[in-house]
Amino acid sequence: MARGLGYYIAVRALMIIPTILVLYTIVFILLRMLPGDPILAVAGTKNIPPEQYEELRRLAGLDKHPVVQYFDYLWGMLHGDFGVTLATPRGTPVSRYIWQRFPATLELTIFSFAISVLLGLATGTVAALRRGGMVDAGMRVYSIVAYTLFIPWFGMILQYIFGLQLAWLPTSGRLDPGLTVDRVTGLYVLDSLITRNWDVLKSALAHLVLPSITLGIVLSGAYTRLVRNNMVDVLGQDFIRAYQARGVRGWKVAWYALKNAFIPVVTLMGLQFAILLGGAVLTETTFSWPGMGTFIVDRIEYRDYTSIQGAVVFFALFVGLISLIVDIVYALLDPRVKY
Amino acid sequence: MAETLAWRTRNLATSLIAPLRGRAPGVWMLRVGLAIVLTVVFMAVFAPFIAPYSPVKRVDRGYLPPSWEHLMGTDNLGRDVFSRIVWGARIILKVVFMASALSMAVGIPLGLVSGYYGGRLDRVLSMVMDSMYAFPALILAIAIAAVLGPSPTNTAIAIAFVYVPTYFRMVRGQTLSLKSQLFVEAARAIGATHRSIMFNYILPNLGHTILVVFSLSVADAILTEAGLSFLGLSVTVPTPDWGYDLRKGQPFFLDGYWWMVFFPGMMVMLLAMGFALIGEALSERLSTAQTR
Amino acid sequence: MSATQKTLPIIAVLLIIIVGAAAFYVGRSMAPAKVETTTETTTVTTTVTTTVTKTGPAPTETTTTTTTTTTTPAPQFTTEQIVIGVTDKVTDLDPAMAYDFFTWEILNNVMEGLVKYEPGTLNIVPALAKSWEVSEDGTVWTFHLRTDLKFADGTPCTAQDVVRSINRVMQINGDPAWLVTSFVDHVEAPDDYTVVFYLKQPTAFFLALLATPPYFPVHPAYNPTEVDSDQTAGGVGPYKIVSFTRDEEIVLEANPYYYGEMPRTKRIIVKFYRDATSLRIALETGEIDIAWRTLRPTDIEYFKGKAGFNVIEVPGTFIRYICFNTAMDPVSNKLVRQALAAAINRQEIIDVVLLGAGEPLYSMVPKGLWSHIDAFKDKYGDANLDLARQLLQQAGYSETNKLQITLWYTPTHYGDTEADIAQLLKEQWEATGMIEVTIQSAEWSTYVAQLREGQYMVYLLGWYPDYLDPDDYLTPFLHSEANSWSGTNYANPQVDQLLTQAQSITDQAQRAQIYEQVQQILAEDVPYIPIFQGKLYIVARSDVAGIVPSPTMLFFYSTLYKTG
Repeated sequence: MARGLGYYIAVRALMIIPTILVLYTIVFILLRMLPGDPILAVAGTKNIPPEQYEELRRLAGLDKHPVVQYFDYLWGMLHGDFGVTLATPRGTPVSRYIWQRFPATLELTIFSFAISVLLGLATGTVAALRRGGMVDAGMRVYSIVAYTLFIPWFGMILQYIFGLQLAWLPTSGRLDPGLTVDRVTGLYVLDSLITRNWDVLKSALAHLVLPSITLGIVLSGAYTRLVRNNMVDVLGQDFIRAYQARGVRGWKVAWYALKNAFIPVVTLMGLQFAILLGGAVLTETTFSWPGMGTFIVDRIEYRDYTSIQGAVVFFALFVGLISLIVDIVYALLDPRVKY
Repeated sequence: MAETLAWRTRNLATSLIAPLRGRAPGVWMLRVGLAIVLTVVFMAVFAPFIAPYSPVKRVDRGYLPPSWEHLMGTDNLGRDVFSRIVWGARIILKVVFMASALSMAVGIPLGLVSGYYGGRLDRVLSMVMDSMYAFPALILAIAIAAVLGPSPTNTAIAIAFVYVPTYFRMVRGQTLSLKSQLFVEAARAIGATHRSIMFNYILPNLGHTILVVFSLSVADAILTEAGLSFLGLSVTVPTPDWGYDLRKGQPFFLDGYWWMVFFPGMMVMLLAMGFALIGEALSERLSTAQTR
Repeated sequence: MSATQKTLPIIAVLLIIIVGAAAFYVGRSMAPAKVETTTETTTVTTTVTTTVTKTGPAPTETTTTTTTTTTTPAPQFTTEQIVIGVTDKVTDLDPAMAYDFFTWEILNNVMEGLVKYEPGTLNIVPALAKSWEVSEDGTVWTFHLRTDLKFADGTPCTAQDVVRSINRVMQINGDPAWLVTSFVDHVEAPDDYTVVFYLKQPTAFFLALLATPPYFPVHPAYNPTEVDSDQTAGGVGPYKIVSFTRDEEIVLEANPYYYGEMPRTKRIIVKFYRDATSLRIALETGEIDIAWRTLRPTDIEYFKGKAGFNVIEVPGTFIRYICFNTAMDPVSNKLVRQALAAAINRQEIIDVVLLGAGEPLYSMVPKGLWSHIDAFKDKYGDANLDLARQLLQQAGYSETNKLQITLWYTPTHYGDTEADIAQLLKEQWEATGMIEVTIQSAEWSTYVAQLREGQYMVYLLGWYPDYLDPDDYLTPFLHSEANSWSGTNYANPQVDQLLTQAQSITDQAQRAQIYEQVQQILAEDVPYIPIFQGKLYIVARSDVAGIVPSPTMLFFYSTLYKTG
């Protein structure tokens, strides 16, 4: 307490560095343990003369000792350079892929996030207000079922019903073919709003519906539980009783309680981000969403060391920053938190 | 010492069965959860007697819808889906239990030592574990599974890796709060060794928590295993495996051959749900017990 | 209470700041690159117009074309736009590095070589070159270029561009460079319209090589010393690349400066899908007009029976085969390999797994290519269990002393059907009652690395040809100096000698004779068992016309149009 918030933030921010270092190290070691290398993976069944193979390895920097490779890449990252791709297309800056893919994942993430929080708040509030009854039990079952839904399975069923049978919604990709939008942020919904391109906005939103509902529902279970339990606590507190005594009733009280129950939800949001990317891999695979999850999986297949390292570190950085912000906000909000 | 241990074990055992009786809130969850899990375990154990056909052989024409002959229809090659589901229970249970045992074997001792001794070791270990925890489990598992190659054992190792931090964090946290409690200080006073304090005094007190974390992480591990199989990283044909069968059925799903996808996916969800229900019920019991 | 009300806006603002900062940070490294290319192209265009008006053969014509392109597209297009969906990906839009079938297809639509395949056939016809002659000894090839060649921005394309592009490929030495470096010693341009190739040795199939992308002249905008993976300047082809978003789509537009017939459709969009399922849904929902490589066999069956869609079969030059590590016991025994060759039932695999989307293959040279013979069929028949058992007995195996083999496959690279092929092979071999098969799998990178090292016993692979000549189906597999990639350890001096000999003979009939002999030896030694040759399908909505399926398996977009 004595050292103040600034100190806390600084320490908390510095803590991100070792986290990223550890992750980078784990990923680096894992990748070098994988059999095969990017050169052979690309050559596949084609003949590749030994001299050319050595040359390609040299160009990719793979002839150097792994320790040298480790520090070279680390040094590059400190300067904001995530290296160049090693598998086809070779030599493209990894940052370009992150630049292309990250907004896709972010957009999906934001929408799933919004859906899961809204669903969680709604179901959790209802459960808390009717606690102990059938509705409460029902919401509890909902939270467990939602959590245990297997994403590809659930996604496929949605695709089948809404994409194929009813033909209401597109089932893959981010935009209808032929549509393009000037890039401002890379988030198509935002970009189309900024550039007032309503066709793109419509198409982007339509493409977002199924994947974000899939991921959103799966993630909402955790919020349902949390909101319910917090609401139950808050509803039992004195100030709510006071409101009720003053004659404030029903949904109005719920609204006050909800606002107070929101603090822990903020914390969960920070934690959920990591889980979200895991879910995003399966969601992106099921819906052909060109995001970071599918990028990493594709690149593992071709042993594209630099791409995977870069993508993982970038994402870890992002997750770290999000949780940092959540912590700061939390510290600001809740005087009980000691820093 | 031995007596205390025996007593504690008995205590744990009774507390395990007790929740099944009575009308405590959440009892139904425990019952349903156990019913699901036990059914699947039964299926796995008696697979040769339950499954009407071989799970790996083509036994009929392909693409047959569910009927009395083939309860869940046949797949594209003409293998019996029901038989594959029954045998598939073996694979998923084996992988998930092996994974849990492994991550417990690593996570619990590390957590104990880290929480008990504290200091630099604790800081380093916590940092490594937190980093792993902060990273998407599935991607970590994908990378490890790719290193090790596809086989049930390797998949188990990959998944175990992911859940080590879960056990570690929980055990470390509990150890931190337990080590300053009276009974530990008493043990120290009578000259118990560090090792003895950790394993004879602190560990038995963690039984409940471990059980809760176990059922919840198993639920999660089931989804991770299915995810790995879905991405084609878990088993080799013709091994029956729910996640992999789901993936193989995907192209046929849209032609209306829904049974090849629906049943494996449903089983994944049911089994995960079974464990999640048990975990929920136990954790609720634990928290009410603590508040009392 | 008041604090919570502030929560959301604070989070929102912070989030936006972070995202913005991240985007800016990543974006910074790219932004200059983009600007550079744009300026470069504009300068090129301006200089070009002036030079063309000075030296061009028909100055009036040039000016008219320039004006039309800057204002509105030429009016003769039948169709405005056709969307094609694929599950393939574009790797490098640079012929010096691209080495996969689909990228070659895109390159073939935006570039051309001196010669090309006539769409729909395996005949080589003049393209950028209008005629050519070969020296007596077969090592000097002289080509005479057309004089009206221009790149997509109007820059003229001359013999110097051809030489520059080929030297560039040789210097960069990327994956497909061997198609040039193994054969071409050097290349010269004595004047603007003549290109002379000096070959290292007489090469009978040089024209087939010339039709491959490494020989295509590219626009001067390509980085002269490094791979230029996202370069969209292209070459001299019916289409030009308008935009390319990696893994999402590539947009092509008719090249106004193309020397040949104008494409019938102005704009072609190729969309990339992650898997066959989403490709199929896209076709059904009307997101795309044509689904090309590669739908699953079930999807093909489905569309065959559905009104509103046409399914067009494309004869394939893609082959699938089983490899043996001939240095590993027990398959080092020729009798064992022969028995395995006799026991397989190709038609069953095609019917059950591929739902008919394949053709049984009895030689490494595919059916339809000259010199092909059904060598394996003549020798072993199909599903000849009696012969297999007989051969196994000779090798010392029986019902009680079973042959134990391990069969490897890779789960994703050749599609989901691979696992089913492995399962069927296991069943067919085990039907002899004297074989026990263990199936194993490894994902692609591991698979390639380990099979090269000779770690696998029996394994499944596939082959897309580089150039369409029997040589490309035999030498890389059987010649002991060229087959080290395969992990088969196969070496037969007689085969080596025959294959080398065939390369230097120009008479096709003579070469065919030698290749037939090699195929006989192949069936006797069995280092490989051919299984089937692929058939591809183009599924199009029924208003799409002008699809010309080619045995080269390349899809030329310029004949496409929509009816009604």
